[in-house]
Amino acid sequence: MTEEILAPPDVPHVLIVDDDADIRQGLVEVFHRAGFKASSAPDAAAMDKALEADGADLVVLDLMMPGEDGLSAARRLATRGWPPVIMLSALGDDADRIVGLEVGADDYLSKPCNPRELVARARAVLRRAKDTDSRRGATEAARFAGFRFDFARRELVDPDGVLVSLSTGEFRLLRAFMERPQRVLSRDQLLDLAFSNESDVFDRAVDVQVSRLRKKLERPETGELIRTVRGEGYLFTAKPTPA
Amino acid sequence: MSDPETPAKSGQPIAAHLAVLVAIALAAAYVVNLVAVVMLPPRPPDVMRGDKVLEAFTAGYAIARTGRTPPTGDGAKWTIQKQKPRVAGAPRAGRIIVHDLARRLETTPQKVVVAFDATPTDVVVFRVRSEEFRVEHEKRRADGEKVREMHLRARASREGESRVRREVIISENGDVTLRAPNAPRPPHAGVEAPMPPQPPNAVTEQPVRIAPRPPEPPEPPEPPRFAPPPPGVVLMSGFLVAAEMADGRWLVMRQQSNAETLDWIMRAALGIGATLVILLLLALLFARRLAAPIQRFAEAARRVGIDVGEAPVKEEGPRELRTAARAVNAMQGRLRSLVAERTEMLAAVAHDLRTPLMRLRLAAENADPALRDKLAKETGEIDAMVSSFIAFARDDPTREARVKLDLAALLQSAVDDRTEAGQDVTYEGPDRLVVMGQAVGLKRLVENLIDNALKYGRVARVAMRQDGADVCIDVTDEGPGIPREEREKVFRPFVRGEGATGAGAGLGLAAAREIARAHGGDVEIRDGQPRGALVRVTLPV
Repeated sequence: MTEEILAPPDVPHVLIVDDDADIRQGLVEVFHRAGFKASSAPDAAAMDKALEADGADLVVLDLMMPGEDGLSAARRLATRGWPPVIMLSALGDDADRIVGLEVGADDYLSKPCNPRELVARARAVLRRAKDTDSRRGATEAARFAGFRFDFARRELVDPDGVLVSLSTGEFRLLRAFMERPQRVLSRDQLLDLAFSNESDVFDRAVDVQVSRLRKKLERPETGELIRTVRGEGYLFTAKPTPA
Repeated sequence: MSDPETPAKSGQPIAAHLAVLVAIALAAAYVVNLVAVVMLPPRPPDVMRGDKVLEAFTAGYAIARTGRTPPTGDGAKWTIQKQKPRVAGAPRAGRIIVHDLARRLETTPQKVVVAFDATPTDVVVFRVRSEEFRVEHEKRRADGEKVREMHLRARASREGESRVRREVIISENGDVTLRAPNAPRPPHAGVEAPMPPQPPNAVTEQPVRIAPRPPEPPEPPEPPRFAPPPPGVVLMSGFLVAAEMADGRWLVMRQQSNAETLDWIMRAALGIGATLVILLLLALLFARRLAAPIQRFAEAARRVGIDVGEAPVKEEGPRELRTAARAVNAMQGRLRSLVAERTEMLAAVAHDLRTPLMRLRLAAENADPALRDKLAKETGEIDAMVSSFIAFARDDPTREARVKLDLAALLQSAVDDRTEAGQDVTYEGPDRLVVMGQAVGLKRLVENLIDNALKYGRVARVAMRQDGADVCIDVTDEGPGIPREEREKVFRPFVRGEGATGAGAGLGLAAAREIARAHGGDVEIRDGQPRGALVRVTLPV
């Protein structure tokens, strides 16, 4: 079953996979209203057929479905490398989120979510997918300057082996930096990449987040990891290596 | 010793292990003692007859005079030294012996030294090589008191010659005189004997022969035999005999009887010590062999207790342990299926509760903005309750692994997340404080407390300080506070504070306390200053 709403061909195509017809219908409408091309499938098998037939730029995947469950489907898509996946699940624990991100989902949202947040996250995932060459690398862990950063677990382990918690903003900022290392990122770019779903975040907030993140990364032996480039923005000086 | 692998593989009861231990230990102890007794040499005799010692010294002196080294052996040690040997205190009979020695060496008493420890005679039996006569005198002194004296008549050493050459007279008080056998009178006791004959003195004496006249000298001489020491002969042990030689140096002969004894004691001690060491090693070995599977069992059981998904306990070691391991494994199986059932049930509950909420939420997107926001708020509150219920039912605070984490960063992140959402939350405390703890659990604890403070007291002031071995986290709000009598009650699951409105299942504080206690700490409620509630978390560092 494929419900498709026609849209111009250059707009991103979102495939919604959920076993609940009302949710499916509602999400298709939400994405359509947001200017996406949206289609839907009731289970993993239908999802495969739809991808085969029309392809998709993004899959919004339910976790608990009859037949093959969402985790297994997400793992398959991650192995293929395309399209990116947002898990939408009734299980919203940290542990569930980590499992979802670890099997290769690009983002994880728990039901019930704000539909507009889902759209914002979808935009962010699409942007990141376009922007980074190695999209799959973003879901794993990376090392830089003695730190280990686990994207799925949102864990930053410092050179002494101490787990350093990050706020959501700091996490997104660090992820944005690590996906674009040694490049000057303007405040607008950072706002886009790290704070896409919060409309009321201003340039000043970026500076605050950067200074907080700097404080958490500050170690005498690592030197300056986030450099301020006057008039332009910020530069992440370390080169992350996959861990 | 038995094959060391046998006990662990056969699964014998612990009693059997102990029996083997005892048997082997006893056998080892006996073997060592036996070896010690067989290998130890007999203790050398360390009591010598004074006259023989002097004889030996005289012979050695004669050799040393000719410039050669005196013979060694016989438990005596010969040295030549420049100084006169110093001897502290002289034994009772020293003077007699000194005089005797001086006479033997044909020198003066000042040029000889004799020192020794006298030994009681009643326990010593001598081996004698030539026959001697023992003659006892009874003499009457001037005051009429009877005095016993002994004559010791040594026979000529040359074989076949039976002539008695000299007679030694030793009085009760230890004085010694010598005379030729035919001399009519001994000299007065206590005087160094010049050559006989001596003028008779005031003491009359009646020589009485007690010992029988010896038989004619046997041809060939009789084999050595044993006899008690001749009466009056001084017995020595640990002696030192010395005499000045012509060149002014001193010839010293000494016996160190204590050294021999000490040596023997040392060997005995060594044997006992070796036994002890072997026993200890064996006991240690067996204790380890017994303890190792028990320790592995305990460790495996502990792991299973933390996470039922762990590998089952290995069934090994003594029989009792195998039984216990089987029981634990059976329990683990039951627990595992229980946990699986519970996880499935909770997932179903979450799915069944949240799917309609999501539907509602999506449906609300079509409503007008005011209704939409109202519905969003309601669904959000129901969702929060579902979340806290599921989290409480699902999370086992002992399960999560402990890692080194920065508690200050954890608090700051939780505060920052809420500040960014526009809420009034502050943090005060160190920038970095590393503890061992559960990252997810502690985060939940802190977030529960902050969210409680925000819900009931509009603001949350988070403060952390290290207090000795504890870390204190205070979360203060500006709400009405919690009355004293309700402070324990609110920690019970599903109990909510007086006047609680809005969403909440009453699980936040219960979960917080459970997590804190799993870390060895606690959560308690106090009065805020100037008002509000102060929730204090104490955690050991």
